[in-house]
Amino acid sequence: MAVWDILTRYHTAFANGLIVTFQLALIVWSAGLLIGTVLGILGAKWTFLVGIPSRVLSFALSGVPILVFLFWLHYPLQSMLQVAIDGFITAAVTLTIINAFAVADVIRGVLSDFPQQYVTAGMVCGMTPLQVLVYIQLPIVLRQTVPVLLMIQVNMLQATLFASLISVPEIFRVAQQINAQIYKPVEIYTALGVLFLCICLPLNGLALWLKARFTRDFSEK
Amino acid sequence: MLKGADLKKSYRGQSILDGVNIELEPGKISVIIGPSGSGKTTLLKVLSMLDPPDAGTIAVDDWNVQFPLEKGKKLEPPWPKLTVVFQQLFLWPHLTLLQNITLPVFLRQGKEDAEKVEELIDLFEMRGFIYRYPNEASLGQRQRAALARALLLQPKYLLLDEITSSLDVEQVAIILTYLKKLAQAGIGILTVTHLLHFAREAADNVIFMDSGQIIEKGGKEVLLSPSQDRIKRFLSVIEAAT
Repeated sequence: MAVWDILTRYHTAFANGLIVTFQLALIVWSAGLLIGTVLGILGAKWTFLVGIPSRVLSFALSGVPILVFLFWLHYPLQSMLQVAIDGFITAAVTLTIINAFAVADVIRGVLSDFPQQYVTAGMVCGMTPLQVLVYIQLPIVLRQTVPVLLMIQVNMLQATLFASLISVPEIFRVAQQINAQIYKPVEIYTALGVLFLCICLPLNGLALWLKARFTRDFSEK
Repeated sequence: MLKGADLKKSYRGQSILDGVNIELEPGKISVIIGPSGSGKTTLLKVLSMLDPPDAGTIAVDDWNVQFPLEKGKKLEPPWPKLTVVFQQLFLWPHLTLLQNITLPVFLRQGKEDAEKVEELIDLFEMRGFIYRYPNEASLGQRQRAALARALLLQPKYLLLDEITSSLDVEQVAIILTYLKKLAQAGIGILTVTHLLHFAREAADNVIFMDSGQIIEKGGKEVLLSPSQDRIKRFLSVIEAAT
């Protein structure tokens, strides 16, 4: 049975798995970007109150493998709290936390290092604070952050695969279940790889294009 | 009139401006000269209120403010009626030189004065590089663009910090001619420079600063026959260097 045969024969199962994967990814992307952006802005504004604690937590999180963090939140923590939360929600919360701190790191770094003289130039030219924000700060910050943030979101999409290990019926879980029935690991996981390539490569390409297009070297001669 | 009275500024306990009194009349060009670290650039920052003074008064025509500000009072300087071009230029890196020049005026008026833009482009000979980004332009080209950006806003008082430092003789002459034209049109110009010939040609008033104080001011005669030995020494050093 070839890769294409597996994809067509089990297309409903793969489609259902993809839907769950995308639902999970959409939650992780939107919540992570929103929370991370707010956290990053607050961290740049209030270094001691928000910035440093956020960096410490981010540093600690970066030392814990995603899988261990996911398992810890799903099993020991819920056991300690004597609650049973659906695996999908646990995965969404876990990945959102990781995404939010990664996004916050990027946003805070760019905002903290933003050259204040560009704001000054706008002010003496009679621009309002809102105009300076919209026409000067945001375009420069977005140029620097969007490609990096896009790369992080591609990584988060790939990280949704870990949700299969706490029984979330996403695409990897579906692949495992199909493999358990027909035992064609090479074909099935190749098919999965092809699916992810089709989704992630264009996103990576977009990130690289944005990086090449907008993150020019600003340094002056 | 732009007027600064008893301006004081300190950084980390070190006095940079110590009771400076300065006036700039519309239609006049005042040139500040003095050794490095004498407080010239700080005076421009303070007068433009980008870095407000610790104490003193600044008045721009009918508008005036006393420092330190009263608690809860917000400083709203009359920009761009009073504007400044600094040596570092601060051109926005994501915009071309043309966009840098036209954006502020477009945001204020909803349109650009195309005729004026064209006039400035031709005057400063910027046509060959006007679509370049700041990091693709030379320092001299950036200086001309920064000056054009300020001029397009039609300020009444223009503060310039060494804006001719990287221009060749011909460009300095063009800017000098244009500054005189601006002064004739009623704009008050206060410029810091190390170019004595520029000062001699341009200045209606000369202000000599040292150690955070104005130690001599007057007409061009200050450059020709300064009363203090300190200024004589400085001028001879500058003369020899240029």
